[in-house]
Amino acid sequence: MATVRDSDTSLWLHNKLGDSEDLWSGISSISTQLKRDVLENIHHCFVSLTPTVKLKLLMAILHMPRRNVEELKDELSAILHLALTDTDQWVSTIADILRSYPVSGQLNLDLEENHSFIAETLRHLRKTLSETDTNALLPLECQYLNKNALNQLVGMQVPPVRHFQLKRKPKSAALRAELLQKSAEAQQQSRKLTSS
Amino acid sequence: IKLISDAGHQGEIGSVSTACHEIGVFSKVLQTSFNQLLEGGEEAIVKHIIEFSKMVCYGEHTFLYAQVILSLLAQEDGGSSIIRRLSQEVQKAGKNKGEGVIQITLVLSAAALYPRACQALVSMIGRQALNPADVTVLFNMYSSNDPPPIELIRMPQLLQLLIKSLFTPGAVINPDHKHKYIFLLAFATCAHETWRKGKRISMIKDEMKATTQAIEKVHAICQKEDKGGTELLAELDAIFKHIRYPVVAMGVICWVEEVVSDPAYFQRMTDTTPLHLILLDEVVINCHQLMHKEVLDLLIRLFQDPFPQLDVLLQMELKKTILDRMVHLLSKGDVIPIIEFMVNCVNTQAADISLIRYFVMEVLDIISQPYSADFVQLFLPIINNEDITGSLRNEEGTDAVSQFLAHCQIDHGR
Repeated sequence: MATVRDSDTSLWLHNKLGDSEDLWSGISSISTQLKRDVLENIHHCFVSLTPTVKLKLLMAILHMPRRNVEELKDELSAILHLALTDTDQWVSTIADILRSYPVSGQLNLDLEENHSFIAETLRHLRKTLSETDTNALLPLECQYLNKNALNQLVGMQVPPVRHFQLKRKPKSAALRAELLQKSAEAQQQSRKLTSS
Repeated sequence: IKLISDAGHQGEIGSVSTACHEIGVFSKVLQTSFNQLLEGGEEAIVKHIIEFSKMVCYGEHTFLYAQVILSLLAQEDGGSSIIRRLSQEVQKAGKNKGEGVIQITLVLSAAALYPRACQALVSMIGRQALNPADVTVLFNMYSSNDPPPIELIRMPQLLQLLIKSLFTPGAVINPDHKHKYIFLLAFATCAHETWRKGKRISMIKDEMKATTQAIEKVHAICQKEDKGGTELLAELDAIFKHIRYPVVAMGVICWVEEVVSDPAYFQRMTDTTPLHLILLDEVVINCHQLMHKEVLDLLIRLFQDPFPQLDVLLQMELKKTILDRMVHLLSKGDVIPIIEFMVNCVNTQAADISLIRYFVMEVLDIISQPYSADFVQLFLPIINNEDITGSLRNEEGTDAVSQFLAHCQIDHGR
C-alpha cells in the first residue's frame, strides 16, 4: 500500500515541480499542499526524486504558512535530514541552510565549516570588502532618508569630486528667481479673488 | 567546466545554466561577479547587473544561496551597508519572480522575529500593491511603544509603493487610512535608532511631525486637478519649502514623471516654461547626490523621447529646456554621468548636432579652471570636434572653445 502511495506522491511532485527549464515554477503553489500525510509520503520517496524536484521541494518550505511549519516541524526536519546527505551538492547545501528553519524560523548560517567552497568564496570576498571604499555603494533606501537618519545609517558622506570652478550660475538660477516672483504675484491674485 | 573554474577562469564560463549546474562552480562565478561589483561601484552595477542577475535568479535556490553569501559577508565590520546595497540589487533583479524573492529576503533579515509584519510585507511587495489591511498591521506595530526595527519598513520596494500611491496623480487612497500611509513613509525616512547586542538602546523620532506635514502638504498639491499649472504656480514656494525632505523630493520626481508622460502635457505648455520640469531643479538643489541619478535618468528618458506630437521647432525648444536642466544638474556636481551621456549622443548620432552645440555653449559659459583630468579627458573630444564647435570659434582665439582648448594644451598636455 505504502509503495502505491509513494509512487503517487513521486509522480505528483514530478508533475508539479519537474520543469527544469523554469526553476522558480511550482514552488509557491505546492507549499500550501504540504500537509502531514503528504510530507510523510515525501519522506518515503525523497531519495528517488530528481535533483530539480528535490531543490524546488526544499524551497517550498520557505513559502509555507508559518503556522504549518511549526505544526509540521518534525516531518519537515526528517526530510531535511535526508537531504543533508544527498549526493547532489546543491541539495545538501540548501538543506543545510534550511535545517534550522522548521524549529526556529531562521536560516542556518553556520556553513563555512562543512562546506569548503563557501569558506573559500567568503575568504576572497572578505579580502575584497576590506579593500573597498564602503561608501562606493549605498543602500537604495538612502535616497529617501532625512539627513540625520542617513548619517546614522551610513555616516557622513564625502563631498563629490570638483571637476571645475563655477564662474557664474547657470540659466536655471535666473529662471528660479523669475518663477518665485510670478508665484508671489499669483498668490496675491488668488488672495484678491477670495477676498472680493 | 569544473577544471576551467578551478583554474581561475570563471569569467570565461559563458552559459548561465552551465555555471549554475554545480554549486562549486556557481560559487566561484558568484565570487567573480561580486568582486566586480564591489570594486566598480555604481558604474559596475549599471554595466554588469543584467548578466549578473540572470545567473543569480536562475532558480530560487541560486537566489537563496547568493543572498546567504551576502548575509554572511554583511556580518563583517564596516561592510554592512555596501552589502545591503548588493543584496537589494539582487532583489531588484528577481522582482518578477514572485513571492519567493521577498520571502527569502525577509527570512534573512531581522523580520523573522516579527511574523505578522513579515506576512503584511510579503503580501504587499509580492503583489506589488498596497492594501489598507496590511498597511494597518504595519501602522499599528510602528505606532506602538516598542516598534519593530525600522529596517523592515525601509525596504526600497515598500517605500516605492508608498510614494507611488501618494504621489501618482489621480491615485485614490481610502481617506480613513491615508494617514497610516503617510505615517509609515515619514517614520521610515526620519526615525533612527541604535541597537546593541539585539537590544534597542535609543530611538529618535523628533522630525516625525515636520516630515509628516511636509508629505501631507505636497501630496495634497499633487492630487489637485490643475491642467494649466496656474494653481501650481501659486503653490510654488510651499513645494520649495517642503522639497527639502528627501522623501518629498522623491514624491515630486514620481509626480513630475507621471505628469509629463501625458502626451498632451508639452502641447499645452507651448508658450511657457514647463513648470513641472523646473521643479526637478529644486530637487537637485536640495537633495542628496543620491537623487541626482533619479533626476538624470528621467531627463535622459525625456531627451530621448522623439515627441512626435510636437512640431519640429517646439521639439527643439523642449530639448533645449531639458538640456538646461542637465546643465543645472552638472553645476550641482553631477558631472561625469552627464558628459558621458553627451559623448554617447555624439558617438551614436542620437541627437541633433545643434543641440550638442547648445549644451557645449551653456557648459563653457559657466565653468572655469582648474579642471579635473577626468573631466578634460571626457569633454575634450566633444570640444575638439569641428562639426560641433567649429562655428563657435573665432580667428583671434578669444572665444570660450578656443580658450578651453588652449588651457587643455597648457595644463593637461593635450
